Amino acid sequence: MTSRAGVHASGRGAGAGGDAGRVVPAYALTRGRTRPNGAELPLESLVTSTDLARRNEASLQMELRTIVALSTRAASVVEIGAALRVPVGVARVLVGDLAAAGYLKVHLTSADRGESGPDRETLRRLLDGLRAR
Amino acid sequence: MDYAPADPRTSRTTGATTTGATTGPMSAAAGAEPQLMSLKILVAGGFGVGKTTLVGSLSEIPPLRTEQEMTELSIGVDDVSATPDKVTTTVAMDFGRITVDEQLILYLFGTPGQDRFWFMWDELAQGAVGAVVLVDLRRIDSCFPAIDFFEDRGLPFAVAVNHFPGTPAVPTDRVRGALAVRPDCPVVVVDARDPVSSLTALVALVEHALVRTPS
Repeated sequence: MTSRAGVHASGRGAGAGGDAGRVVPAYALTRGRTRPNGAELPLESLVTSTDLARRNEASLQMELRTIVALSTRAASVVEIGAALRVPVGVARVLVGDLAAAGYLKVHLTSADRGESGPDRETLRRLLDGLRAR
Repeated sequence: MDYAPADPRTSRTTGATTTGATTGPMSAAAGAEPQLMSLKILVAGGFGVGKTTLVGSLSEIPPLRTEQEMTELSIGVDDVSATPDKVTTTVAMDFGRITVDEQLILYLFGTPGQDRFWFMWDELAQGAVGAVVLVDLRRIDSCFPAIDFFEDRGLPFAVAVNHFPGTPAVPTDRVRGALAVRPDCPVVVVDARDPVSSLTALVALVEHALVRTPS
């Protein structure tokens, strides 16, 4: 295995960077999984918490509760990772678990749909929105 | 769930024909809820050219830094089949957010400048609106790898010359020539610290992407 200077390379299940201030290694949250059971969500995938999540929030472990709270307003996988101070891969696994349990609704991206990019209508909306700023 | 292959590189090369979203709890049919959608634009360019600054001046949230793990095999290890345990590499990445309208959210990703992290761009580029390639005229060649990457992938991009104080003004036509980009590639001059100025790069990119997108 190559080892690159200046690059943090760690084995599966080891805490991968960003563990500053964290007592438990980030991957302990996912029980060592680096891949979600279900979807490999794009970084920009938006999720929103469901009624089911709000009803059962109290029973969730702290990190999952935080995700449900963050997702009251649409939040992306990458934002959730940053908020929890865990690598994106960990956020993906946790978000995937919550979605599979029906606690999060995942909103599709053009990457999800296998499209090369957004369609014209979406680009027009984006352009209008940017110009209005 | 019948989702795309887990390896981001694989999902890219196979065109990511993900259909799993139509079934299962991940989809939760739209119903009466608004159809939220996110888009992404990449901010690329050489190391230290001002990518983080540009993302920061455009973002409505304080720009955040996240970490993305990538498997070593994506970097070109010769024999991946002999490597049962993938080793992950952690790459820092900046991102910002712009709420375009109630249901449309744009994410900006400041991509790592180091050449050895190109593998990461494939995943980021998938489904992206396009890229802003930030250029420092004092080190113009540092953006060449980014331009090559987006040209190879057919991803729309706009060139934004980050105009640092003390840099002599250069006509955009000469920049276009020096970069050897296509005549229709937008070239704008921005001050990455200024939100209004930085926004012109995004607008130029989206206009360009719109022209290139078939109806």
